[in-house]
Amino acid sequence: VPEPPKLQKLFSHPLYQPQDPRTPAHRNLLLGYQRATGSYRKRVAHHNRKRRAHHAAQNSSAPLTEAVFDVSAPWLQFHLEISQDALYPRASRTVERLIDWMGNMTVISADLSPDEKALNGECDCNQVVKPSGTHLKVILQFQDYGKAMFKPMRQRREEETPEDFFYFVDFQRHNAEIAAFHLDRILDFRRVPPVAGRLVNLTSEILKVTANEDLEWVFFVSPANNVCLFAKCPYTCKTEYAVCGNPHMLEGSLSAFLPSLNHAPRLSVPNPWIRSYTFAGKEDWEVNPSYCDWLKQTEPYTNRKRLLNMMDLAIFDFLIGNMDRHHYETFSKFGDEGFMLHMDNARGFGRHSHDETTILAPVYQCCLVKEDTWLRLRLLSRPEYRLSDVMRESLSRDLLETVLTEPHLLALDRRLQKVLQVVEECVQKHGEGSVIMKEGGQQAAATG
Amino acid sequence: MKMILVRKFRVLILMVFLVACTLHIMIDLLPKLERRSVRSDGEMGCACSQNHNEESHQQGWGKVRPKNTGEPGWPNKHTLRILQDFSSDPSSNLTSHSLEKLSGTVDKNESFRKLEQQEGPRDIADKQLIQERSINKAHVGTGHSRLAALFQHPLYKSSVPPLTEDDVLFNVNSDIRFNPKAAESQDWQHVVNEGNEEEVFMPTGEAHIDSYPNWLKFHIGINRYELYSTQNPAIETLLQDLATLKINTVAMKTGGTQLKLILTFQNYGQALFKPMKQTREQETPPDFFYFSDYERHNSEIAAFHLDRILDFRRVPPVSGRLVNMTKEIRDITRDKTLLRTFFISPANNICFYGECSYYCSTEHALCGKPDQLEGSLAAFLPDLSLAKRKNWRNPWRRSYHKRKKAEWEVDPNYCEGVKMTPPYDSGTRLLDLIDMTVFDFLMGNMDRHHYETFEKFGNETFIIHLDNGRGFGKYTHDELSILVPLIQCCRIKKSTYLRLQLLAKEEYLLSRVMEESLQLDKLAPLLYRPHLDALDRRLRIVLNAVSDCLEKHSYNDVVEDDWDSSDAKDKTT
Repeated sequence: VPEPPKLQKLFSHPLYQPQDPRTPAHRNLLLGYQRATGSYRKRVAHHNRKRRAHHAAQNSSAPLTEAVFDVSAPWLQFHLEISQDALYPRASRTVERLIDWMGNMTVISADLSPDEKALNGECDCNQVVKPSGTHLKVILQFQDYGKAMFKPMRQRREEETPEDFFYFVDFQRHNAEIAAFHLDRILDFRRVPPVAGRLVNLTSEILKVTANEDLEWVFFVSPANNVCLFAKCPYTCKTEYAVCGNPHMLEGSLSAFLPSLNHAPRLSVPNPWIRSYTFAGKEDWEVNPSYCDWLKQTEPYTNRKRLLNMMDLAIFDFLIGNMDRHHYETFSKFGDEGFMLHMDNARGFGRHSHDETTILAPVYQCCLVKEDTWLRLRLLSRPEYRLSDVMRESLSRDLLETVLTEPHLLALDRRLQKVLQVVEECVQKHGEGSVIMKEGGQQAAATG
Repeated sequence: MKMILVRKFRVLILMVFLVACTLHIMIDLLPKLERRSVRSDGEMGCACSQNHNEESHQQGWGKVRPKNTGEPGWPNKHTLRILQDFSSDPSSNLTSHSLEKLSGTVDKNESFRKLEQQEGPRDIADKQLIQERSINKAHVGTGHSRLAALFQHPLYKSSVPPLTEDDVLFNVNSDIRFNPKAAESQDWQHVVNEGNEEEVFMPTGEAHIDSYPNWLKFHIGINRYELYSTQNPAIETLLQDLATLKINTVAMKTGGTQLKLILTFQNYGQALFKPMKQTREQETPPDFFYFSDYERHNSEIAAFHLDRILDFRRVPPVSGRLVNMTKEIRDITRDKTLLRTFFISPANNICFYGECSYYCSTEHALCGKPDQLEGSLAAFLPDLSLAKRKNWRNPWRRSYHKRKKAEWEVDPNYCEGVKMTPPYDSGTRLLDLIDMTVFDFLMGNMDRHHYETFEKFGNETFIIHLDNGRGFGKYTHDELSILVPLIQCCRIKKSTYLRLQLLAKEEYLLSRVMEESLQLDKLAPLLYRPHLDALDRRLRIVLNAVSDCLEKHSYNDVVEDDWDSSDAKDKTT
């Protein structure tokens, strides 16, 4: 499949070409090939044994779909290509394969997410900010043993977040997950795990294949004869209703799983620009203008590279309008130098008519930006590479039609201008040399 | 000596400490006690409404049942036990505290019956006074008024049979005497007149009926056949009172499934406030069950008007009002739980979400613009301690379960069983129930699980149509299952049938008279156009259902003649 014109032009621009040939890729990979494939082979075999036993015990006549071991499975390729630089290499075709794979692969089982299981059915209805395990999401397992997280459609594309909603009660949007992945790729951050849209058959691809009784329990048939499922806690607390298919099919986002925590442990770090998650409370950064000066003296942000990564994250979140970035994750293996994972973007793209400038606080408080990022942002503001155009092209690859409505796409251009403006104001105040930073190698970071 | 002094001093300090402690506890307890008394002040929300929760339902009735089977005066002659046990006392789920209060009021009631015997004739004369001042002023619009013409129609001119003492709910004096709040401070007359230019003081210092607040006039006017008479001028002014009077206190209604507030006015009248949750154009999503639907303030208001246009007069007066959330709720409530849920939204609007079992969370917060919130205010019915009500389980109640079906949904001959079971085997109760069915079908209300009657009138009385917030949810859909009682029983009152036919005619078209009637409310327009059109469509469906019955059965079997014989209602008593 040839790339659409503008997007292809963007990706062939020098700024999107490998720049540092000195670092041999294999030395900085997250996983070892032998260990990863070996463990994969073992787990497939174990899984099939278990399912066969279960199937025999149930005496069911339905044909059993067994998991297949496949070394060239896209999800495995994706895991093997994760390096210190990013989640996936620029030139890799794996991402495209992964999107097709998630959109089409046969689902063999479904389950609740581990953080929902960890809640153990407990649910405090008086809690204003409920833990992430209370959101409706389902883990789907494919025939080649790969997994993806399914987040169903909650809101129609044209709907905006009501103006009286706080960021912590906002909806989770499946299209935001999809669009955030594409935006992250266009910005060349490559820190969002690949996400694809898919029409899922709630009955045959979730209800019929799950062995989890709790998951079966949340299914019902609505008065309009549609198959529905709900997130247990919010439903019990009457804070949200179920999501329903039409009558079986429901669209949602599938985001590819990262390598198991056993192989690649991750650290979850609180965002220094976290919000108060209360109605009236204010955080230190919201009232203290010299917050960044303090932060620069604090581990791990004494590391210049880490701080610059924070700036990237803020710019990314501002562009999608995500105020709910309370934590970010990094791979333990790569230490403080490692990139940040931009996961859980479902609360972005809620309001196209509003730009939440406070999300940019890291940038205007620290007055820092990576040179690479700065050059790419400028490039994307030029008509021949306009951000909304390349986004539209990129999103057209997805199986779901019109992932983002036009107003949201155009808001990206407007917000990009605001980012550029904020940086330019910084440059005027502090001079280009102290604002726009070369990321450099390890030496440069050490001096920072 | 010194030691004694020191000891005395210690004792003194201890005493002071003790007094301080007691005061502290008292102050702490006071608001709670107050709230509790508000809670037990029976109000129109009906005691059953807490039973929405699908899972808790079965248990709830299990508890009520034994109580009622033990009740004397309930003959156990039929086999349909469940049907017999439909009735339940609204007071049965009050706290022991309020039960005490109720047992006290029995004595009061008895004593006031004695009073009634002495002063009876005068009261009935007073009643006549109210009724004679017949007005239709509200509908004297400029030019042609369909509504005025409708109310002038002979079908709307029927008067209730002559009322005896047993047919009126209250003796005029006793209501005031036994209303604790009004009795405490007799100055409510002054308060009422504060806003008006002409201040009426009776030379004797005794309250004259004209100086009664409108809510009291409404209470006094309740009789065996109707909640209010067509001619009662107090109803129009009560509607205005609800929309304009100063609000003195606000409390959250406990036990309800969705957020409701109890407002008390400066003239001690009370109203139930249901806030706006949905815009006029929004429809209930097709996948929502009837028990998860939102309560709509405009449905409450429209239901009152529809009920009046159908000449049932079984819904307490309801008005719309723009409430200032800061001044009229937040600043005057002493309810800490309610107060705690107030916040300012990112768009700088005042919001709150209260405490209840359905949709009381930040996700469903009610936000003003910036502090103006629309809502419906329904006048309270008389206090339960003065006029007890019976709570009846609707025989055609739904299962309130996602998968289960109710008996009437599977048994086509269900009505035969109901017809043989008291109180549906005699009097007009079954026909009243079918009136209610028609009313509910017209607005699409599937949530009629219980209904109430005034205990004083026994079984020969009308049904109060309370809790209409779940009507007018879908204009594109007609829920035929609501009409099942009519379809299964094939019975209808002649007066109702004739009025339905009238309202299907072009010159009295239901949608047009409704539109005109609703225009009188402050929050007009209250119904989205398609809802009004749906009323006409559904009316035709009802008439067709009656026609279908007439094809199968004889006219006299289907249409109960309560119209031609003017003393039809007397016969039933």
